[in-house]
Amino acid sequence: MNRWGERAVYGLTVMGCAIILGSFAALVSYLMFKGFTALNLSLIFGSTPMVDALFLRREVFDGIFPAMAGTFTLIVLAVTAAVPVGLLAGIYMAEYSNAFTKKVFGFLFDLLSAIPSIVVGLFGFSVILFLHKHVSEALVPSLIVSALSLAFLVLPYIVRTTQIAIETVPQSVRITGIALGATPLQNTIHCLIPHSFTAILGGVILAVGRCAEDTAVIMLTGAVASAGMPHSLFKGFEALPFYIYYISSQYSSEAELAKGFGACIVLLFICAALFTAAALIQKKARHILLYTR
Amino acid sequence: MNCSKIKTSNLDFFYKDHQVLSQVNATIPENAITGIVGHSGIGKSTFLSLFNRLWENIPGAAIKGKVLIRFSGDREQGFCDINAPDFSALELRRAVGMVFQTPNPLPMSIFKNVSFPLKLAGINRKKEVNELVKRAIKACGLWPEVKERLDKRASILSGGQQQRLCMARALVMNPEILLLDEPTSSLDPASEEKIEQLMVDLKKKCTLVMVSHNQDQVKRICDHVIELGI
Repeated sequence: MNRWGERAVYGLTVMGCAIILGSFAALVSYLMFKGFTALNLSLIFGSTPMVDALFLRREVFDGIFPAMAGTFTLIVLAVTAAVPVGLLAGIYMAEYSNAFTKKVFGFLFDLLSAIPSIVVGLFGFSVILFLHKHVSEALVPSLIVSALSLAFLVLPYIVRTTQIAIETVPQSVRITGIALGATPLQNTIHCLIPHSFTAILGGVILAVGRCAEDTAVIMLTGAVASAGMPHSLFKGFEALPFYIYYISSQYSSEAELAKGFGACIVLLFICAALFTAAALIQKKARHILLYTR
Repeated sequence: MNCSKIKTSNLDFFYKDHQVLSQVNATIPENAITGIVGHSGIGKSTFLSLFNRLWENIPGAAIKGKVLIRFSGDREQGFCDINAPDFSALELRRAVGMVFQTPNPLPMSIFKNVSFPLKLAGINRKKEVNELVKRAIKACGLWPEVKERLDKRASILSGGQQQRLCMARALVMNPEILLLDEPTSSLDPASEEKIEQLMVDLKKKCTLVMVSHNQDQVKRICDHVIELGI
């Protein structure tokens, strides 16, 4: 390629990054501009004193604290349910499947990742209705149903990133453990997974983000406008995306809309905090496993 | 010449439809350095992988013929066919260490790299592990260079140090045979000299089999040469 061609490709690649970063900056700036005025303690705790709300001594009725707690619990539950299953399935795909199962299962996982979230929500809703009718009337749309539906939604990301992370471990690393007398299982646990930690974490972060933002699934499977703090897995709960959707579609004043934007900023912060926590856990686990005697 | 440690008899190796080795009959003496030579693509590395059954991890690979090894100590039973159905590949790989062309420390600390084979073999007693690791690193002349930074990443070491670390890792299980696949080809002359000296020292307690493209190196340190493809 001639010099101009090289420069054009370089320019386009820089432009690609600039468009993404610019869009992100525009989004955050717009949210800050619209929601900054509402970003205060009363947005979160309403008229309830902060300490009372934090220690669960009094319910918060006019703030987003219950929705924050609901979203946080939902993400932790969904990711906790999805990560072990996704990791195991990813390891199976990378290490134990034959050409046929790899092709068929791979296609099915890709298909699963393409299912719109509203369909997953509808599926979760149908299942719980069926169980309500045929098993127990106590089974209703609730936090656990939303968490499991979301786990189902994010499973393909975790499976595929785990699979690709393990499959792309260099042959030199892959064969090292075997040559030192490792069984295939020892090689997977002690060589392949530690080597793929960072890439596997990418899938988990993607899953956290998806769990935090998805509204369609939780709308049908358990989220309600007013439920208070999430006290039970088997009851409805409040969640930030649902609150944002609810406010933006039914606001009665500019101040109320600003609260919705404030809630968006809080949701971004929750995601950032969870990403950071996931990265720190990964770093700590990696250190303990690979560097501590 | 020392007595034989490894014998191959009518050995053929196939990769899918392609025959890589044909009717190889070779004898490798004990406590000596044997050089495997031959032109590129003749199957030198493949030949080496037959002594620790690493070839079994290559999809589509198959062998015919026999590879016989005479183990000593607790394992002494005369010559054993290492491809016999009841012969454990894991036990074999713990008795036959291997060092690759490019230094391949695992992404973990210096100490953990060397203690890794012990962990795989279920040797967990801290005092014993510390002792064995120290002995292996000392045997490779690396102790003064790493004793203060055993918990640091192995990748911070130079190429030559990494290769000696890999040799220490291969030696920690006290193997009877050490396979080396062009162990100095990616190193500078000073590191190459250190590794060669180390190999000469090691042959007192170990049988070394080395693939090399370097004719001068083979002349310098090998006691016995097997030329493939003649």
